[in-house]
Amino acid sequence: MKRLRPAADASALPTVTFGPRSIMWWGTLGFMTIEGWTTALLIGAYLYLRQNYVSWPPLRTPYPSLVIPTINLALMLVSIYPAWMAAKAAKKLNEAAVKSWLVVTVIVSVPILVLRWWELRALNTRWDSTAYGSAAWTIVGFHASLLLLDIADTIGLTLFYFITKMPVKTFSDTADNSMYWYFTVGIWIPIYLIVYVGPRIF
Amino acid sequence: MTAPATSRNLPVEVTLSDDSIAREAAALDSTWRDKTGFWGRLGAVDHKTIAKRYIITAFLMFIAGGVEAALMRMQLARPENTLIGPDRYNQLFTTHGTTMMFLFAVPMMTAMGLYFVPLMVGARSIAFPRLNAFGYWNYLVGVVFLYVSLLTNTGPDTGWFAYVPLSGPAYSPGHRVDVWAQVVTFTEIAALCAAVNIIVTVFKMRAPGMSINRIPLFVWAQLVVAFMIVFAMPAVATGSTLMLATDRAINMHWFNPAEGGDALLWQHIFWFFGHPEVYIIFLPALGMVTPIVETFCRRQVFGYTAIVMANITTAFFAFGLWVHHMFATPIPELGQSLFTAASMVIAVPTAVQIFCWIATMSSGRPRLTVPMLFVLGFLFTFINGGITGVMLASVAFDKQAHDTFFVVAHLHYVLIGGGVMPLFGAFYYWFPKVTGRLLKESWGKAHFWLFVIGTNVAFFPMHILGLEGMPRRVYTYFEPMGWGTLNLIATIGAVTIALSVLVFTINAVTSWRGGERSSDNPWNSSGLEWATQSPPPSYNFVHTPVVRTRHPLWDTGELPVITGLRTDRRDTLITTTFDARPESTQVAPDPSIWPLYLALCMGLVFIGSIFSPYFVLVGVGVAMFGLLGWGWESVKDIRQEIVELPNGAMVERS
Repeated sequence: MKRLRPAADASALPTVTFGPRSIMWWGTLGFMTIEGWTTALLIGAYLYLRQNYVSWPPLRTPYPSLVIPTINLALMLVSIYPAWMAAKAAKKLNEAAVKSWLVVTVIVSVPILVLRWWELRALNTRWDSTAYGSAAWTIVGFHASLLLLDIADTIGLTLFYFITKMPVKTFSDTADNSMYWYFTVGIWIPIYLIVYVGPRIF
Repeated sequence: MTAPATSRNLPVEVTLSDDSIAREAAALDSTWRDKTGFWGRLGAVDHKTIAKRYIITAFLMFIAGGVEAALMRMQLARPENTLIGPDRYNQLFTTHGTTMMFLFAVPMMTAMGLYFVPLMVGARSIAFPRLNAFGYWNYLVGVVFLYVSLLTNTGPDTGWFAYVPLSGPAYSPGHRVDVWAQVVTFTEIAALCAAVNIIVTVFKMRAPGMSINRIPLFVWAQLVVAFMIVFAMPAVATGSTLMLATDRAINMHWFNPAEGGDALLWQHIFWFFGHPEVYIIFLPALGMVTPIVETFCRRQVFGYTAIVMANITTAFFAFGLWVHHMFATPIPELGQSLFTAASMVIAVPTAVQIFCWIATMSSGRPRLTVPMLFVLGFLFTFINGGITGVMLASVAFDKQAHDTFFVVAHLHYVLIGGGVMPLFGAFYYWFPKVTGRLLKESWGKAHFWLFVIGTNVAFFPMHILGLEGMPRRVYTYFEPMGWGTLNLIATIGAVTIALSVLVFTINAVTSWRGGERSSDNPWNSSGLEWATQSPPPSYNFVHTPVVRTRHPLWDTGELPVITGLRTDRRDTLITTTFDARPESTQVAPDPSIWPLYLALCMGLVFIGSIFSPYFVLVGVGVAMFGLLGWGWESVKDIRQEIVELPNGAMVERS
């Protein structure tokens, strides 16, 4: 083997970093890409099926209701604020503020998941009625699984903060958790527009 | 190397003494080694251990898929044979295709990346070791599920692409197709975990100095393929789990034309994954060719930049030609022309790579070792398959040859020539690195000749059979068709392939147990994977190497290294994405049983969903417990940290 010559010393490098400097941020981005792309494919399939119908929604199928989905969309947009504040506090290593804002995030986001059930009912069709119903239910249901995953993650994180002293690295994870939440809310906007508003337009 | 802003420069005249290296190595080993014992093994997270499990499992799958192929060839060896009936034959060809594509080729190619990418970029670990273990366990659940199903006469029987309406609830009652749909899901999860791992490892964990223009070409190929996986695999996961399985389990209508569904939607979704899949298998194999050619021609590869660009171009085009699998369906003529053009154009970047290797070989002094022989076998066999591919890109020809043995011949020339042959070459080339022992060269040559001759004898006659009109996926044919002789020749070829794989297996097993011991760098190769011991220790490198050129071990003088990484915890060096300047150190996680637990929960969700949708709720419920357990393990890890805040300020906190 070649002889080794020390060229530089790494002992002064930071051990906790935020954003693109942290590998967890990149991992989160990777899974956001996968899930976002899956959503895009589902929307593509939904629009592909549109060409099999004369009218959309199909005959004798009412338009999706807008009341509950619009309320939930508003709630999701509101929930970005506490998530953003939690991330901001995490980036300043302010544990007390992180805890408070995580609690607010949980309080705002759990009703979103509950409302999701009524949101599925608001599609005004069943998954086994038509291909239209199958596509709409699958898209909204798939997004519900993303909501569930992120809310469960947020609840777990919040519990940990209250139960025990968390390692410093958790602040970076908290910021990434908020990023994932922006993503989950962000991809809901096109879903809302296409699945709930769209049938009134095309 | 330019000194990183946050690290101290050391005097250049010092070299590290053997004593100090040995002391560091002992400390590192106790920190990084996976636990022993039954539970210790189940909780292993070392990327090399996980990758070895992948490679061995995938190789067993290669043998299983090969046995299925051999049984089919026995049945087809003469007309009106009665060895295997139509129902069993359907299960065999479906399981053969599913095994070879989903359980052998993709996991094997990604596993080679999971083993070698961290070593080649000079990292101590892969980016997410637990995610890596989670991926493997998912894959294993899929493997066991498929084979238990096959042996209990519930093997899938509608082809590896499970076309609807045949695979839909109306024409395939029972659970055979459900097995297929869920096996695919497990292998998708595994591939996606591997892809994210490889991308982040390459982006953030390269040795200092390994700027993007110095990344080894195998790593480039793995990186490009990881991106392809991220965009291809969700398509088949969507198609199989969210559409086909739901049509079958809870009466959805994605593919039911009576309720506005669409059978062609399945073909679009499947082939949007299925065609890139071919390149997901093929590009890593091309990545293996380059270091073999460089090492055995004693020359740096010709056209590094051209090869990188060819990889990226191939990946882009690969997503733009799926419709050439659907020329026999009603596709608009303009679409047909577009996809014909794309299918022909993709030959160009592959040709660029082949010309680069030929240029390297012709200007170097090739040594015909076994890895090099397999590269030559690859060039010969693959080019034949590539040419029939360009033929099939023409709509008029495709409509004649569609669903005949011509296509079987083409795809086996491409996948065996372009995938398996470089892979075998890579096995001989890297076996000493993984095991510390050399494979026997004479057995290797016997393996090579039997394999190349067997492949051509088995598959060349299928071109003619296809042109004579013999359809795929038929369990027998009548004597007056006159296909008996060519089928018998193909079967003789298949037996020859089986014999060659037997020779390799014996060679591998006996060499691993008691073969000639290898030095750390037996071929005098240039990549960083050879800068450590063979087999590599749990921590990969005592000191993270610093890279000044594309061929660090061919540089003269000592190997510069980074010091100061702690030995009492799993410190890994993180570098910047483009220039690979040291940026931080981050601590890799310890071994954990939770990845296995969560993979079993996934098994409960997906296998259970075949029988009742409520299993999904149960599985998700128990998985939540696993997520908490996984998270809780990191909580114990309190220590003093140097925190770099987003505004650039540094603070010390614990």
